[in-house]
Amino acid sequence: MRILISLCAGLISISLAVVAAPPVQKCELCHAKPGFQKKLDNGQIISLYVPPDSLAQSVHSKRECNECHRDVNEIPHKPGLQWVDCTGCHYIGNLAGAPELPIYEQYRESVHGRAALAGNKKAPICQDCHGAHNVQKYHAEGSPLNRQLLPASCGRCHIEAYRQFASSIHGKLLSEGNPAVPTCTDCHGEHTIEKPEEPGSAVFSTRIPETCGKCHAAENIVSKYGVSIEQVETYTESFHGIATTFGSKKAANCASCHGSHDILPATDQESRIFPANIPKTCGKCHPEANANWARGKIHVNASNKDAGIIYYVAAFFKWLTISTLVGLVINIILDLRRRLMKNKKS
Amino acid sequence: MEITDPKLKEILLAELRQRLKTRGLSDSDLTEEQLGQMLIELSAGLERKADQIAEAIKPPTPEAPAPEKLSKVKEEQFLRLSLNLRLQHFVMLSSIVILIITGLPLKFHDAAISHVIITFFGGITNSAWIHRFGATGLIGVGLFHLLYTVFTVTGRRDFMLLLPKPQDLKDYVKQIKYFLGMTEEKAKFGRFSYIEKFDYWAVYWGMIIMIGSGLMLWFESFVMSFLPKFILDIAKEAHSDEAMLATLAIVIWHFYNVHLNPHKFPMSKTWITGKISKHEMMDEHSLEYEEILKTRTGDEAVKGGRS
Repeated sequence: MRILISLCAGLISISLAVVAAPPVQKCELCHAKPGFQKKLDNGQIISLYVPPDSLAQSVHSKRECNECHRDVNEIPHKPGLQWVDCTGCHYIGNLAGAPELPIYEQYRESVHGRAALAGNKKAPICQDCHGAHNVQKYHAEGSPLNRQLLPASCGRCHIEAYRQFASSIHGKLLSEGNPAVPTCTDCHGEHTIEKPEEPGSAVFSTRIPETCGKCHAAENIVSKYGVSIEQVETYTESFHGIATTFGSKKAANCASCHGSHDILPATDQESRIFPANIPKTCGKCHPEANANWARGKIHVNASNKDAGIIYYVAAFFKWLTISTLVGLVINIILDLRRRLMKNKKS
Repeated sequence: MEITDPKLKEILLAELRQRLKTRGLSDSDLTEEQLGQMLIELSAGLERKADQIAEAIKPPTPEAPAPEKLSKVKEEQFLRLSLNLRLQHFVMLSSIVILIITGLPLKFHDAAISHVIITFFGGITNSAWIHRFGATGLIGVGLFHLLYTVFTVTGRRDFMLLLPKPQDLKDYVKQIKYFLGMTEEKAKFGRFSYIEKFDYWAVYWGMIIMIGSGLMLWFESFVMSFLPKFILDIAKEAHSDEAMLATLAIVIWHFYNVHLNPHKFPMSKTWITGKISKHEMMDEHSLEYEEILKTRTGDEAVKGGRS
């Protein structure tokens, strides 16, 4: 009997101790078991397995489980546990030593942040992109956000965009290890991401030339790969470019002709700008477009001899203007000089 | 000069005594002559001051410029531009102003002022339609002028007179010599000087280039239904470059000739009244003036013969 009582007392005291403060190691009792899982009310099965060294290898290696899982303080856990809220440490002015960056606030104002804060369960929160336990610096090899893995990470939700990107010139070169091609965030932004229809978006119609121009107007980026930097300038000088500069949302921008996720070079038969496809591409806005629309350069630089006859027309007008104006100004000066001479005499 | 008014003399004398007193003198220390001179100077100073004040506060006399005006009215005026031509000029200049202010911002799309102008016109779509409205005016006046040239007597006569002739080159050389002071004799011009001929044909050239290329750009789909795209690229280049040339020629050359030239400054009113003075006629179109005089004496001779 005594033994029984002492055993009971011992069990109670152990369970009390567990309730008071679950030691971290206790988490591993369950969560380090591969195949530890839970069936949700809707029938979905989610894995609750946390690879034992995942936290140790992450940027949070010095953190304990319940520093993030703050509402877990008893075993078995109370129902209704919340998602980990990273802003417990990641805010400007924190004392935990988390980096103090403007991205936290930017995320809240982005399309993802607004949706998540409004209660949309599908909207991504921090750990959906950055990973949960194995959080790495974004450029680290194991991070789902490094250049190579980023498209697939975004593609977990944005499936069609990912499929198109993977077969585009940017996607193909990325998979070949090209260090210069853009991935999702280079065009769309990261924590500032917005819908393309929002004027603040980096891929809003009137901002696309500037966004593409970050690389395509930068000699040190695209010239290495034999891509001309002239295209942005020649677009800006075209009627489409000028209309876009003055805020037209109807005028064609880079993506209207080249596509966005599915961009291909003009040499590719599948490309929207492959010569045979140009009438169809122009036809999106100009239903009358025919084969004549492809007869001539699209990006014309009149000051470059490659422009052919247009170069000579521009040169003709340049010299006509210079010679005419010089002649007229000389005549004005001569006339004025004579009038002043006459005034002096009289 | 002497101060005759005894009252004034008394006041001035009192004033003078006061001044002398502060210097430890009295009027008895001065000779009569010195005293008289000082009084005159005091009085003259007051006069001057009073004149200044009167000048400053009196309203400008309306009669003053009248004599000059009268003399201008008296000077004989010659009709140079008929109402028809003045209206052609007015429609043309309005169209061109519209075309320039809605067109140049496209060429200088990086300039902040361009954005102000396009916003003022309600955005790029609106400003494009306003540009086409201006273009319609320019095309209209161009066609009208062609009809005027073909179907009116004065139109045909002026056109023939505007054709360049070897004499224009001789006139130009002579005028340059005159400008350089190599001769004191100016070139003599008939109805149209080489300058006016140059202006006329420059506008002709500009109209053909601008209207031709502008219509192609306006109806680009129609043009590309039978011409390749690079023809439109040529049209765009020509439209943009000739626009610049024409604008500069107007602002520098035409404005000098009709506004900024010291002889015309601030503006020749001929485009409104159609008239030029006898003086201008003799100075700028002396041969035409002589022609007119000849016809007049001829008319008088005819009249005399009849009576």
